[in-house]
Amino acid sequence: MEPTKLSTLPGSREPSALQAARKRRSAIWLFFCCLATAFGLTWLVLILGSLFWNGFSGLSGDVFTQMTPPPGSAGGLLNAVYGSVVMTGLGVLVGTPIGILAGTYMAEYGRYARLTVVVRFINDILLSAPSIIIGLFVYEILVAPMGHFSGIAGAVALAFIVVPIVARTTEDMLLLVPNPLREAASAMGLPRAHVILKVAYKAARAGMITGVLLAVARVSGETAPLLFTALNNQFWSQDLNAPMASLPTVIFQFALSPYKEWQGLAWTGALIITLTVLTLSITARVLGATRISK
Amino acid sequence: MADIAFEQTTATASRTPGSRTSRRRLDRFDRGFAVLTQAAAIAVLLILAGVLFSLLRGSWLAFSTFGFGFLIDQSWNPVTDRYGAAAAIFGTVVTAVIAMVMAVPVGLGIAVFLTEICPYALRRPLGIAIELLAGIPSIIYGIWGLFVFAPFVQTRIEPALIATFGHLPVLSDVFAGPPYGIGVFTAGVILGIMVLPFVTSVSRDVFETVPPVLKEAAYGIGSTRWEVIRNVVIPYTRTGVVGGVMLGLGRALGETMAVTFVIGNAHKISASILAPGTTISASIANEFTEAVGDLYTSSLIALGLILFVITFVVLAFARLMLMRIDRRKGA
Amino acid sequence: MSAVVPSLPNLPVKVAIKNLSFFYGDTVALKKVSLPLYANSVTAFIGPSGCGKSTLLRVLNRMYDLYPRQRAEGEVLLDNVNILDPAQDLNALRSRVGMVFQKPTPFPMSIYDNIAFGIKLFERLPKSELDGRVEKALRGAALWNEVSGKLGASGLSLSGGQQQRLCIARTVAISPEVILLDEPCSALDPISTARVEELIDELKLQFTIVIVTHSMQQAARVSDRTAFMYLGELIEFDETKKVFTSPAKQQTQDYVTGRFG
Repeated sequence: MEPTKLSTLPGSREPSALQAARKRRSAIWLFFCCLATAFGLTWLVLILGSLFWNGFSGLSGDVFTQMTPPPGSAGGLLNAVYGSVVMTGLGVLVGTPIGILAGTYMAEYGRYARLTVVVRFINDILLSAPSIIIGLFVYEILVAPMGHFSGIAGAVALAFIVVPIVARTTEDMLLLVPNPLREAASAMGLPRAHVILKVAYKAARAGMITGVLLAVARVSGETAPLLFTALNNQFWSQDLNAPMASLPTVIFQFALSPYKEWQGLAWTGALIITLTVLTLSITARVLGATRISK
Repeated sequence: MADIAFEQTTATASRTPGSRTSRRRLDRFDRGFAVLTQAAAIAVLLILAGVLFSLLRGSWLAFSTFGFGFLIDQSWNPVTDRYGAAAAIFGTVVTAVIAMVMAVPVGLGIAVFLTEICPYALRRPLGIAIELLAGIPSIIYGIWGLFVFAPFVQTRIEPALIATFGHLPVLSDVFAGPPYGIGVFTAGVILGIMVLPFVTSVSRDVFETVPPVLKEAAYGIGSTRWEVIRNVVIPYTRTGVVGGVMLGLGRALGETMAVTFVIGNAHKISASILAPGTTISASIANEFTEAVGDLYTSSLIALGLILFVITFVVLAFARLMLMRIDRRKGA
Repeated sequence: MSAVVPSLPNLPVKVAIKNLSFFYGDTVALKKVSLPLYANSVTAFIGPSGCGKSTLLRVLNRMYDLYPRQRAEGEVLLDNVNILDPAQDLNALRSRVGMVFQKPTPFPMSIYDNIAFGIKLFERLPKSELDGRVEKALRGAALWNEVSGKLGASGLSLSGGQQQRLCIARTVAISPEVILLDEPCSALDPISTARVEELIDELKLQFTIVIVTHSMQQAARVSDRTAFMYLGELIEFDETKKVFTSPAKQQTQDYVTGRFG
């Protein structure tokens, strides 16, 4: 055996094979990371690219003025767009107050309560639970008892998806409101409810709106919970008590059909949804950013 | 002085009766608001309880008819009214595994790139882009998979896989074929692309919780960039990364629309991942509205219950992991 | 304490800082600073917050390279080689110029690995020899007696003072030539501070030491020379005894007597 070397003396650190190997290993791994980024971005560019490529050609005035056509003929998506707007709107309208109140409880009245820990945990699970399960749930509690599919059932299903999103962002935003602000308001003799409504909500407003916008973005693309609640409708219908068309379900039906016109409309519908969702999320981000920069 | 003091007292006194009633009204309002918020918080719990209860009730018929054999039986026959969940569970797990095998290394790589390598000017825009992509509805991935990716897989990728692995033991069965283009493999890859932004953005967030001074300390003893990542960043954020991966897995297991288009909806377990299959959510999406008969419907709801239980466990685990890293960040 | 002789022995210059300016974006943080750092002695940088003393320290191992829009001009010669040269190998530089931070920064690994990690970066040693080096480093940082029974425990399980000595041991273990201490005691209680200060006294027998400190008493206790900085400029640099008893500049006098800062 070779005699063991004495510890390296200061100043004698020569570039050795070990050092070169370390640098090489680092460079290789970093190269893989760059490769991963290129790989991931390629997919996403491909998807968005073909979406725009296939969707734009069909984007015309007809899309927003004509009903979904029967197989083999041209038409638009008006009834589907209408149904989506109505059900998303109703869902958000119902889900938002519940979400805000639940978030308020977690951040304010119940900040230190054991209930909050449980609610937060369950809420986080609902946040990423499969949305098709929500569809089954609403089918069981509304569609089956009523005996038919309906726009109402679709809106309720979407509301169940809105609640956890809004609850989560509301709680997060209220927790960011500095406590001295609450103390100052309380010191003026304001009751707790007023401190929350007049001071805390005002301070957290931008963030809470962001949460609602994100919820709108999320539910406007949801398909699975609508499949067996609102079902679909080939025709113009404003009746909330009857099956209702929506963009995602129409896309689902048309894309899987053998008809060229339907497939084209499916692409166009997909593009409309994507643009809507991107617009909403970007708006939400801009609002969120103003909050942070303050 | 005395006069002023006197006036003030009377002024206060004269205000008192009115202020007392309004104070009482305020108190009642305050209590009412508190109760309302608590009710909303409890409503969140009720949603979950309601979901569980309705799934249990709906699936009762299926479980009482088939017993626990439902879980391991792979027959799914509306004609003979005989149903089993095995094929759907198998497909769910296999597609999710394919998705994670693809999304985890790539997602972690991108997160490392974004936090440690990327030029500063590009970090924010790229990060925002990733987050926006995480918000794109899954049906978009589905329609792309059906029209663009599946034909490509059929004509290019699958023939290559079959040619490459066709002569090797075991692998020749896994990649056996005719190349349909539609099947478990395609569905898994699309799921992978879909959960990629999730895994990336959660990992990036937890990587950013590493205190800069800790990284400086590691650089300060002469570590290379990779050594800092490998020995400081990843160990420091391990629980968070696991949480993020589990969150992505939860998504992959429960995802419906990205899969339904391209899986082929075949209730059978094949050794080959190129063959058509099904997942729990795809079965429900494809068959629920057309299911005739109580037992058929109940069997589909039973599938839903199984999915709910699986994702609940995965997501609960993910949240516990992420809570641990949140607590450290707060400390 | 340094010896009470009027002049310190003439030691070689280990690091020569020449006309060093530093910029955070467009903000100037150091203005043409020049001073020598002598081998085997302790140099303290003192001055009010924001005077640039920490910035100066971070130039000496090019830590600023990790961040965008930070750049240095001028020369820093380590054994007559300019370390600001873009071609400088940063890993090699940092192995020669170690750094201990304000807050203890144990790595998320065991006590043993905290030390061994750094050694393994530069030398491939058999396990027995590695054990010896770890023990030697921990003894050197006066930590061995406290942790010898639990080397497998997490570095984070130690007290703040022990963590800081672990970080010093980690730095010493890779046998650097210069050790930079960035307010190493500001997060420590008085007893731990005394331990670390004793340690500094021993370490200077082997290393060139630079310490940034907020505490003038600490500078007076541990350093041989002191540089007083103000608003990015080096106001005065001299033997510590002289800086604290008969400074040449009025500003220095005001600061060390507590009239400002």
